[in-house]
Amino acid sequence: MRLLEFQAIRLLAEKGIFVPKGVLVTSPKDLQKVSLPTVLKAQVPVGGRGKAGGIRRVEQAEEASSVVNELFDSTIMGHPVQALLAEDPVEVSRELYVAYLIDKQANMPLLMASSAGGIDIEEVAKKTPERIIKKYIDPVVGAQDYAIRSLAKALEIEDVRAFVSLIRKICTIFQELDATLLEINPLAITSNELMALDAKILLDDKAAYRHQELFSELESEQKYLDRRHKSRAEELSEKRQINYVPLGGNIGMIADGAGTGMLTLDMIHDAGGKPANFCEMGGMANAEIMQRTMEVVLADDLVKVLIISLIGGLTRMDEMAEGIVRYVKDNDQSVPIVIRMCGTNADAGIPMLREAGLDAYEDLATAVQTAVQQAKDL
Amino acid sequence: MAILIDENTRVLVQGITGNVGSFQAQIMRDYGTKIVAGVTPGKGGRKVHGIPIYDLVEEAVQEHQVDAVISFVPARFAKDAAIEVLSSGIRFLVLTAEGIPDHDVLIVLRYAAIKGATVLGPDTPGLISPGKCKLGVHPHTMFMEGRVGIVSKSGSLSYEVGRVLTKNGIGQSTVVGIGGGPIWGLSQEAVLQMFEEDPETEIIVLLGEVGGKLEHDAAAFIEEHMNKPVIALIVGHTAPKGAQMGHAGAIIEGEEGTAASKITSLERVGAIIAKSSLDIPELIKKKGI
Repeated sequence: MRLLEFQAIRLLAEKGIFVPKGVLVTSPKDLQKVSLPTVLKAQVPVGGRGKAGGIRRVEQAEEASSVVNELFDSTIMGHPVQALLAEDPVEVSRELYVAYLIDKQANMPLLMASSAGGIDIEEVAKKTPERIIKKYIDPVVGAQDYAIRSLAKALEIEDVRAFVSLIRKICTIFQELDATLLEINPLAITSNELMALDAKILLDDKAAYRHQELFSELESEQKYLDRRHKSRAEELSEKRQINYVPLGGNIGMIADGAGTGMLTLDMIHDAGGKPANFCEMGGMANAEIMQRTMEVVLADDLVKVLIISLIGGLTRMDEMAEGIVRYVKDNDQSVPIVIRMCGTNADAGIPMLREAGLDAYEDLATAVQTAVQQAKDL
Repeated sequence: MAILIDENTRVLVQGITGNVGSFQAQIMRDYGTKIVAGVTPGKGGRKVHGIPIYDLVEEAVQEHQVDAVISFVPARFAKDAAIEVLSSGIRFLVLTAEGIPDHDVLIVLRYAAIKGATVLGPDTPGLISPGKCKLGVHPHTMFMEGRVGIVSKSGSLSYEVGRVLTKNGIGQSTVVGIGGGPIWGLSQEAVLQMFEEDPETEIIVLLGEVGGKLEHDAAAFIEEHMNKPVIALIVGHTAPKGAQMGHAGAIIEGEEGTAASKITSLERVGAIIAKSSLDIPELIKKKGI
């Protein structure tokens, strides 16, 4: 889960990291709570919002109210603005970059810092990689102070003790909350303290069961603020936590593997068809998940034909067939279903489909051609 | 020969009494895999399909020589179970669980490195050396013994390609799924190196997908270290930018994540590009294999 800035900043503040005084503005009338001058920051889950006009400093009331209205009417990189964080301006003497993340090349946590704070760190990494200092942290041992002192030295930090204390807090949050990225950019050095002016936090969804209360609070806040238009199929897929990507065509697609799912889409495309979606059930799918997934994909009215692309390894074809047959029996639907079924227990699954009047192909290319042809004929 | 496993590999199945573990253990044993023991806490002393069960890995290794473990332990308990295996001195662990928290995976992988052990996965179907040993969940009728090595990010795609090859009479030496999660143990490059050194493997099929830079790394490795021919198939040509296509890493974020840029990279180092799974048999035959 990617936290919105105000959520990340609040989390940092709760753990004792200094942040600017701020107020969350969710409608223009919230402006009464804001003291001027202020910095208004659009709460959108994308980087580079500053360049896109999503961060504005305002001095007076009249200006504030017009900028607030303007921001609420705007869409920043595809995200309609539904909230602003209004923060007191901070006198900054220096801006740093710090991050703690999982480095997927090395399979190790990585502590990263740079004196080039406040700007796009990927640009820095590309143009002047020597300005980014990296310390790999052994996950069995954890971050020790010497590594942080070494960073402080490279960054020429004066108040080493404050820096060590701050980075220790970052490491603790990262560890305790199962974060995969915790980035503060910029980390401001003010006249008397280190202060996080912007933060990006990614939490590991796979670890949500260890932090249920926190995850559900963060999720419900995000849901409340997210007013993007979502189709019925998208809403349903979110609720059921099914990996569903709408693609706008008319051939619905369900697969039991990501690789064959993508291959099926490529083949549909090559055969002149237009996929309506990508949808993968994962290796642990059973009859129940199969049935629920069909409900999601067929909630899209644009779907004229559904192709189900199954190649059983971990998934059992008898269970998949059971789910498909149950869906067909429970729903009065007319969308033709083309099934590709092979692999684990397909010998049991295929007769179950035939008995219910459904046909299954063993060969993927034949199934794809059939589905594309049916979509054209309709 | 094959790589990593063969007909002599003695296997312990962790989580052998669960639905999946029990079902898959039977299939593996019927295939010919030498399963010597199973472990499930609290179920010690019983037998599943004639395989003796122990409460603890340390008990099992006192009674049996174990070369490899396949774990069907659910994600929430996978770290504990993996550390148990690695602590007992076993050097090869296949982690099938999908959804293990990244922090847990990091610790398991780091501990494996300290112990000098290899971890395949997590979120992997495992591997199969057709005709010799199956340490995974592959639908084995789709594979036959032969000289093509397959390495894949996606399990299902490796089944699909195995099936197409087998239908065309082309067998495989070993088929390895490195895992669909964001982080994993045994690297694609390490598998390529093993195939390069394996006298039974004559050609390698590399199966990739959009997102990340795995195939760019593979291209760099092929250029530096490989003489055997490599055929590559990259799926997800039609994937839109920014959408997660099943696997954690299958998101096109920059230009390097697109299928087109991966293909360019691989073509540059002499890899043969397959447009679809159906093209692969023909491309292999052209190489005289």
